[in-house]
Amino acid sequence: MLRYASKRVVLAVLVALAVSFAAFLLLSVATDPASAIAGEGAEPEMIEHIREQLGLNRPLLVQYGSWLLHVFHGDFGTSYYWHQPVGTLILHHLPVTLTLALSAIFVTLIVAIPLGTIAALYPNSLIDRLSLGLAVSAQAMPSFWLALVLIILFGVMIPIFPISGDAHAWNYVLPAIVLGAHSVPAVMRLTRVGVMDVMASDYIRTARAKGFYGYRLLSRQVMRNALLPVVSVLSVQLGYKLGGSVVTETVFAMNGLGRFALQSIVGGDIPTVQMLVVLFAMTFIGLTLLADLLNAWLDPRIRLA
Amino acid sequence: MGRGGVRERVGAALIAACLTVIGVQSAVAGRANDTLVVAIEGEIPTLDHLYTTARDTIVVSELTDDGLFYIDPDTLTYVPLVAESYVQVDDTTIDVTIRPGVRFHDGSVLTADDVVYTYNWVIDPATNTNRGRLIANWLGSVERTGPMSVRFHLKHPYPLAIRDMAFSVQLRKAGAYQGADGKPDPNAESLKLNGAGPYRVVDFQPGKSVTLQRFEDYYAASPKGRPAIKTIIFRTIPDLSTQQAELVSGAVDWMYNVPADVAANIGATGYAVHLTGPTLRVNFIPLDAAGFTGADNPLTKLDVRRAMIHAINRQDIVKYLVQGDAEVIDSACHPLQFGCEQDVSKYSYDPAEARRLLAKAGYPDGFEFELWAYRERQVAEAIAADLAKVGIRAKLRFVTLTTLNQARKKHRVPAFFASWESGSTADTATIAETHWSLKSDRNFSNDAAVARNMEAAARTIDPDERKRLYSEALRRIADQAYWIPLYTYSQNYLVSKDLAYPVPKDGLPRLFRAHWRAAKASPAKAS
Amino acid sequence: MSEMDLSFKAAAASETGGELLDAAPARPKIWRNILHHPGLMLGLAILGILVILAAFAPWVSPYNPYDQNLPQRLLPPFWVHGGDAAHLLGTDHLGRDYLSRLIYGARVSLLIGFGAASIGCLIGVTLGMCAGFFGGIIDRIVSFILTCQLALPGLLLAMALVFLIGPSVGVVICVIGFLHWSYYLVVTRAATQKIRDLEYITAARAIGSSRLQIMVTEILPNLFSEIIVIFSLEVGVAVLAEAALSFLGVGIQPPTSSWGLMIAEGKVSVFLRPWLVILPGIFIFLLVLAANLVGDGLRDLMSNESRR
Repeated sequence: MLRYASKRVVLAVLVALAVSFAAFLLLSVATDPASAIAGEGAEPEMIEHIREQLGLNRPLLVQYGSWLLHVFHGDFGTSYYWHQPVGTLILHHLPVTLTLALSAIFVTLIVAIPLGTIAALYPNSLIDRLSLGLAVSAQAMPSFWLALVLIILFGVMIPIFPISGDAHAWNYVLPAIVLGAHSVPAVMRLTRVGVMDVMASDYIRTARAKGFYGYRLLSRQVMRNALLPVVSVLSVQLGYKLGGSVVTETVFAMNGLGRFALQSIVGGDIPTVQMLVVLFAMTFIGLTLLADLLNAWLDPRIRLA
Repeated sequence: MGRGGVRERVGAALIAACLTVIGVQSAVAGRANDTLVVAIEGEIPTLDHLYTTARDTIVVSELTDDGLFYIDPDTLTYVPLVAESYVQVDDTTIDVTIRPGVRFHDGSVLTADDVVYTYNWVIDPATNTNRGRLIANWLGSVERTGPMSVRFHLKHPYPLAIRDMAFSVQLRKAGAYQGADGKPDPNAESLKLNGAGPYRVVDFQPGKSVTLQRFEDYYAASPKGRPAIKTIIFRTIPDLSTQQAELVSGAVDWMYNVPADVAANIGATGYAVHLTGPTLRVNFIPLDAAGFTGADNPLTKLDVRRAMIHAINRQDIVKYLVQGDAEVIDSACHPLQFGCEQDVSKYSYDPAEARRLLAKAGYPDGFEFELWAYRERQVAEAIAADLAKVGIRAKLRFVTLTTLNQARKKHRVPAFFASWESGSTADTATIAETHWSLKSDRNFSNDAAVARNMEAAARTIDPDERKRLYSEALRRIADQAYWIPLYTYSQNYLVSKDLAYPVPKDGLPRLFRAHWRAAKASPAKAS
Repeated sequence: MSEMDLSFKAAAASETGGELLDAAPARPKIWRNILHHPGLMLGLAILGILVILAAFAPWVSPYNPYDQNLPQRLLPPFWVHGGDAAHLLGTDHLGRDYLSRLIYGARVSLLIGFGAASIGCLIGVTLGMCAGFFGGIIDRIVSFILTCQLALPGLLLAMALVFLIGPSVGVVICVIGFLHWSYYLVVTRAATQKIRDLEYITAARAIGSSRLQIMVTEILPNLFSEIIVIFSLEVGVAVLAEAALSFLGVGIQPPTSSWGLMIAEGKVSVFLRPWLVILPGIFIFLLVLAANLVGDGLRDLMSNESRR
């Protein structure tokens, strides 16, 4: 297990290096951060001055190497735009995104697992078809469109939830629904398949023979086995949510990492984007590691493999 | 107002009714609390205007900082502010007398020492202030000539000296940038500001909000006057729809940079007042006449450039898209700017003439080119559609500002939708230098004669000579159609019905002039 | 099962449910069963209508979608007060007929959907076959590439590529294709591994077929049905991705009418003119729904088949 984890750490570092270099290259070529900092009405001389200040005229490899060196010493750079350490900025925006991601997963779970289980217990029934239909529909909606529709519904028609900002807990309801809706189909299907597979096993047939039906067939063991794939999916989904909440945060005006990343990319704030990319890569790999470990714990057979 | 007036009202009423859920802020804003809540789109990264050029910070800085001079909003001339008077001793020397009784927010009195400290800090290259280098270009040194007087030594005659002092140098107390360890600390004023303006900062959350309160010891003789409103809060709300929702629910009292359609609609609902005002911003399209993107590209031909101006229906664009106080321009400057010659070649909307000129230039079937833009998407689209009608296929490239600047630096841009506010300064020099200097990458003309004139006009303080130089240059620019001159920009404000806000002529918001209306009057356009 | 397999599985399963990974490769002979599957029929029907709309757009749409008419801008649909029967669904901010733009938008969305899915298919299947067939170090390298691709923000890549090459529909197709090949990869790899160990492959090697020959003639045809399923699902993914990119400003450029761009342009007045946002959204929804129904339907048919 330890060897396994340490291999993952090495992988994480390699990926982070590769991705941060790619991000650096892309941004350096496509944007001019000095003009973002200088602002729209800035004289060219001022822009050039800022370019020199930031060392943007040095060769690309030198710039990247310098950044790398600083990172190894724990200096994650200072944002070009905010004049604050990147680490501080990221920590500042992290809670919103984390809360949002977890709420979204929560929404997915409370909708998808019950639906999937019921669908599996009564296959081909009306519920099964309806929930499959729901799953397919939810997956087909663009998330920002769903967000805007929710805003119209709850901003103009039925006023229940706040539609912007991130100040209170209520602010997270609509965004969590939007973000969570996308994973519902996948998790629901997985649950359904998982439960159905277990249902077909000998152990269940015995229980049925003894007179157990419907939900009483559900036991810890059934759910455990059925939910195995769900766990891995969810952990990857969490990764996606953390990185992919850009649109949701933009529409609902929340101060999370997603929006922050968008602003930084658009503004050419290279130090920030690089750290964000590294962070995301590490998180992603960490989550898949977590998923594998969880799987191993849930199903001893895998541990032995 | 026609078009679904009742429906709009009902819709807006529902909006307002439900959006009181939005939060604590709705109880804070408004006349009852003598608190003006302003929504801005951008973030405020720092309070120190010497170290930022973020667009919205200037609105805050007008309230928290005072400089030696100030642009009078009614006459658009420079008047002494913290200065009491000034004398142009000779071409390169200016004597300034400082007003007695001016205080910083910490209570200390402003003297010549503070002025000298501030200017020395700004022109010192080691301090890296944003505009320092530009000031250092013309300012040689500043010396204290008495407890309340200073003398400025310029490197050469510079007509915009007073303007730069007004616009770029906000006064700081002597020793402000001294860190606790004795070493200079440029960030000393970024989170807590000790300015000399009519408002002082009581709370600052970078990127989220700034809370200001009226400075009670502000000097009575100030041309800015004593502000009527006690508290002003700036909130960063990046999303436009959210800003609107907050405004309608009463959580926000003042917004600017609102798109014309949106402002008109919300104004029509009666929940807020839609004000329009002129600005000194002009929009235009420089064309690659010099051939930087390709020696033989169509834009290098004079007839082609003239044809393009003829092809665009600028009047319709101004009337239907930009709306408000916008006007079509023909010269490469804002009509209100000193030196902006209006007697220049004018190209009327004439698609037939455009086609004729194109054929004459050798492009009877038109041609293709890339039009880059980072703002005003709708207008750029409309322009492209107009050009397409005469056969010129403009490939639109919408990018971010930073990307555009990068591309322009590399000479990949044959034409771009440009916009320039001239620092809200009513002087052609502020638009001329950047766009006609041969070193500037915004200059697509490579015209040495024009460059010479523009530079000379910025080196003399003789108004007649300057006018002559600008007139000559601008005539040539229009004649050569180096630019497609478009229009002056109209600013749209949405304000609470309880607020009286005098709309500025130069588009620079001066919130210290806002005040609450006495009684519930019907929404009227303030002037 | 290697350690890579688990995370691969997770990445793939996150797309639609992962059952495909366990389906045995089989040559389908069950196309006649299509008629008995209502979901599949519905999906094909919707797709068919959209394809017809797109193909016959110049004849079906009442106006040219690029015809600008500033005095007639922002008219509401005919059922809203102020609407004009001349423009059934109203006009946009430049006075262009909305219905026409929606119809032409089908062309863009279908083109992007199928184009991006194809590119993703090319990349993913190639990498997957190589990884599955050769195993070892090649497998590790491919896994590394996959992880990097998943970790790099798509928006960044899109923005940079659009800048470097130019904002044409082709570039958008490539960008989306480059970002969505992981599912193909995982499934192809797993399937290839299964087939590789079958006896007839060993036999083919024995008689001297080159590896490339084997991959193309023996393995690839067996993957065909699975790839088709993934393809149809990825069409939906690509359409949604384009909409999101246009919404964020780095997708299709005006004046081309893409549904995602129309939503982005309408967002600013969503409270007062909600139809600007709702109408294009419905179309996107229908297209993606159709693609998903077809994909799911095909997969159901296949897994039914493999259970026989």
